[in-house]
Amino acid sequence: MRLLKELSVFFKGFTDVTFRGGRVFYVWMSILTLFILAGILAYIHQLRHGMIITHMRDQVSWGFYVSNFTFLVGIAAAAVLLIIPAYLYSFKPIKRIVIYGELLAISAVITALLFIFVDFGRPERFWHAIPFIGTANFPYSILTWDMLVLNSYLFLNLLIVLYVGCNTYFGREPDKHILMPLIIISIPLAVAVHTVTAFVYNGLSARPFWNASILAPRFLASAFCSGPSLLIIIFQVLKRFTGFRIEDRAMEKLAEIAAYAMAINIFLMLAELYKEYYSKTIHLTSLRYLYEGLGSYKRFVLPMRVSLLLNILGLLFFLIPETRKKAPALIAGAVSMFIGIWIEKGMGLVVPGFIPSPLGEVYEYSPSVYEILIALGVFSSGAMLYTLSLRAAISLETGKLRHPFAPPPVIEKEGLTAGDIMTKEVIAVLPETSVDEIAGLLIKHRISGIPVVDNERRVLGIVSESDIIYREIHRDPEILERLGGIVLPAYRQTIKKGLTAGEIMTSPPVTARVDTTLRELVELIVDKRIKRVIIIDSSEKLCGIVSRIDIVKAIERLHS
Amino acid sequence: MIPVVLYILISVIPASSDTLNPPRVLSSSFYPCSDCHQGLKTNLQVRKLSFHDDILIEHDKLWCLDCHSPSDRNRLRLPMGRTVAFENLPRLCATCHGHIYIQWSKGIHGKRTGYWNGKKNYFICTECHNPHSPSFRPLRPEPPPLRPERTIRRD
Amino acid sequence: MLTRRELLKNSVTLLGSLSLGACLKQDIFKEKFRELSEEEKRRFLKRLEERYEKRYGIKFSVRDTPPQKGVVFGYALDLSRCIGCRRCVYACVMENNQSRDIPIQWIRVLRIKKGHFAPSDFESAEHYYNPEKVPEDGYIYIPVQCQQCENPPCVKVCPTKATWKEPDGIVVIDYEWCIGCRCCMAACPYWARRFNWKEPYIPEKEINPDTHYYGNRPRMRGVVEKCTFCIQRTRNGRYPACVEACPVGARKFGNLLDPESEVRYILDNFSIFRLKAELNTEPKFFYFFSLGR
Repeated sequence: MRLLKELSVFFKGFTDVTFRGGRVFYVWMSILTLFILAGILAYIHQLRHGMIITHMRDQVSWGFYVSNFTFLVGIAAAAVLLIIPAYLYSFKPIKRIVIYGELLAISAVITALLFIFVDFGRPERFWHAIPFIGTANFPYSILTWDMLVLNSYLFLNLLIVLYVGCNTYFGREPDKHILMPLIIISIPLAVAVHTVTAFVYNGLSARPFWNASILAPRFLASAFCSGPSLLIIIFQVLKRFTGFRIEDRAMEKLAEIAAYAMAINIFLMLAELYKEYYSKTIHLTSLRYLYEGLGSYKRFVLPMRVSLLLNILGLLFFLIPETRKKAPALIAGAVSMFIGIWIEKGMGLVVPGFIPSPLGEVYEYSPSVYEILIALGVFSSGAMLYTLSLRAAISLETGKLRHPFAPPPVIEKEGLTAGDIMTKEVIAVLPETSVDEIAGLLIKHRISGIPVVDNERRVLGIVSESDIIYREIHRDPEILERLGGIVLPAYRQTIKKGLTAGEIMTSPPVTARVDTTLRELVELIVDKRIKRVIIIDSSEKLCGIVSRIDIVKAIERLHS
Repeated sequence: MIPVVLYILISVIPASSDTLNPPRVLSSSFYPCSDCHQGLKTNLQVRKLSFHDDILIEHDKLWCLDCHSPSDRNRLRLPMGRTVAFENLPRLCATCHGHIYIQWSKGIHGKRTGYWNGKKNYFICTECHNPHSPSFRPLRPEPPPLRPERTIRRD
Repeated sequence: MLTRRELLKNSVTLLGSLSLGACLKQDIFKEKFRELSEEEKRRFLKRLEERYEKRYGIKFSVRDTPPQKGVVFGYALDLSRCIGCRRCVYACVMENNQSRDIPIQWIRVLRIKKGHFAPSDFESAEHYYNPEKVPEDGYIYIPVQCQQCENPPCVKVCPTKATWKEPDGIVVIDYEWCIGCRCCMAACPYWARRFNWKEPYIPEKEINPDTHYYGNRPRMRGVVEKCTFCIQRTRNGRYPACVEACPVGARKFGNLLDPESEVRYILDNFSIFRLKAELNTEPKFFYFFSLGR
């Protein structure tokens, strides 16, 4: 009974944080739901009429579904491979992303399995492939291996995520002795997942386009490009639309990894091109179909060239450190790499294996409307799953989703930024404001400094007690006595002096960004001997203020 | 030499118990030929015939009496003055097409239907080849398969 | 501690789901045919026959004739003789109840220019030739169907073991077990397998009611099919339909283990070759030129 009660409390909290949100969230979920519904309708059509509604035929018997499956397995593998820099090289900024990478891996694997499911001619018979319940062809069928490895990987990631999630919900620190082995195991499993998927194609002697040892390395290299790219896109989207922030350094590291992986991928592609074009055997035909076209069959030439261009563009954006650091270039690079790999590793891998057919026939395949709708539905299901799991995870981390009796969240020192500790409701004054009014505000709100902003709340300077004292002390020493809360007649004399904020402010003020770390703020305050730091956003607008007392409060919280 | 070859050829003819149906005679409208030819004089001159002018011989440089026995029109003629009935026609064809005959008797040449482990239906030479013009006539092929593009409905 | 009420609720749910499961088991969760007992097999085949009879309005027989001992089937094709008339293709369609809409044809006849043919290279093969008369000068014709490999790549990749090689050498598919993943189609180097992209249509007048469970019984959408060396005929001693249809006698069939068979004679006396031999699939379909051209 208690268990049921606990579960109901959890579910209430869970639904509260995951299913309720801002306008952007609702719009996003509505779009996804729409696509999912369309996909379901299209799939029902496929169940009723058979796979004739696709454009696959005996000549090209795998198409859009299997292409997307392959691509998604790559994403799933790469998402977890971030663990290597985080844990093996102790690159701290990535540590926080690891759990979000695991969640992406889970969503990607489930979406990939969904794609396989919609590709079955007799989906109700899927259980025939399960060991013991059905008659799985172990150990000969690589597809059986793939299903086993994929499901193990899914299970392991679910275990890790649920373990961490549960502990966080109850305010407990997960036991490193349980967690670390699980995480370490997921590394070879991630490599295995993608290698085995490559082997499904690799081992088919009937398809010379696939029957090359270079396939498995190429798979891994392109996975390392698409996975990090997707994570970058996701985190940039979150940064833009929610308050959720990942350190820039982590993003840049992801981009760097993807850059090196893309360089390897392009090298392997060039190696393949050389081999086929130089030895010019009949196996060249599939590659020629992709890059030149065969006679009037040219449908893939443009997409492949676009894919190559996008890949190189992504590589350049990510390789050059200067472009890596700038948000627009980062997103552009991530998007172009993602699309480039999707074309190259999806349709650009699966379809040419069937062209020409083993008996020399060429049938140009492109997905039908139904295939596209079903694929959209499946992708949207994965996106929805990831969205909801991400919201739950973030809520768990920030403590919004918490067991009622659990201790409040301990924020990791590394994660503490200005945004976490700043005072958001900041009083600010326009430059025309008189010193008299400023003094009144300082007294009334018991603050020691006040930012000066223009009409658009862009920060121009700051007026602190010191400014008033140092500027005024030459004119009227009695002001000194008046400051401290006593309004004396002599104070009125300063009004006559007519000094304004603009005239006495310190400009430019010392500012920091929202994601500046606690350590950096402390350094600023100590080095520049100031009492407060103004926090601004990218367009110099006032966001908040961090003063010494805020830092002291934060440290007190950390130590309790 | 030739009798030895003939003897070997005769010995490899399949036994009649292996056949499902007895071989058919080609033309029954004129048979028995002796009905007309009994009264006619035998003319061994190689010439164009006045009767049987619908028969066009496109078989190397043969003429009628190279295969049909001059002494008995109801039988076919083998070398060394021997004759053979129409039912045993393959023996005649074998005199020139020995290799084909051996292949036919082994089942390699020509069509067979029936049981691979039992009785078979053999087709004798004239059931596929016109003896007067034996080369196989080209046939009209059955329709080609449907192109996969044609199975896609643009709706 | 479970109250009595909860116990009752739980057991009712359990029983309900078990009975539902039992019903579903009959139709959806049934076991694989070859693992059933003899009696269950008879029952299942009878049910199939009734279903076909209802559908096509004619008495059906679905047999599961086992392989004969001491028999491994082999096929030989005389490329000197094949004229590309495609009568084998359509005889196969009629005998094996292949769909007419969309048309499925297990045999594909290729036309290749003389001198351009190589057993591993089909780049210049023409599938859709349609001249007035065949054969044409300067071309040879090569029919290709399932090669019934001794080392079949399709069997290796099937994730559910729905296809396997029988003791008499025929690679069969259990149409009730196939999940339609089409991995076997990707694996076959001879493009021998066909998929039912929709529910197959056979006109009632043209149905062949003498069927074998693994052979020519009418299939359903979503499963793979292919040539089975006319398993319904050959296991009862008859020639496959394509052998009997060929007007020039280019097709030869028999028991490889019988030294007196036609096929063995060909293997002993002619230079045979197999398609894509470098893939080591060991086909049991042998091509030869009886005239040396």
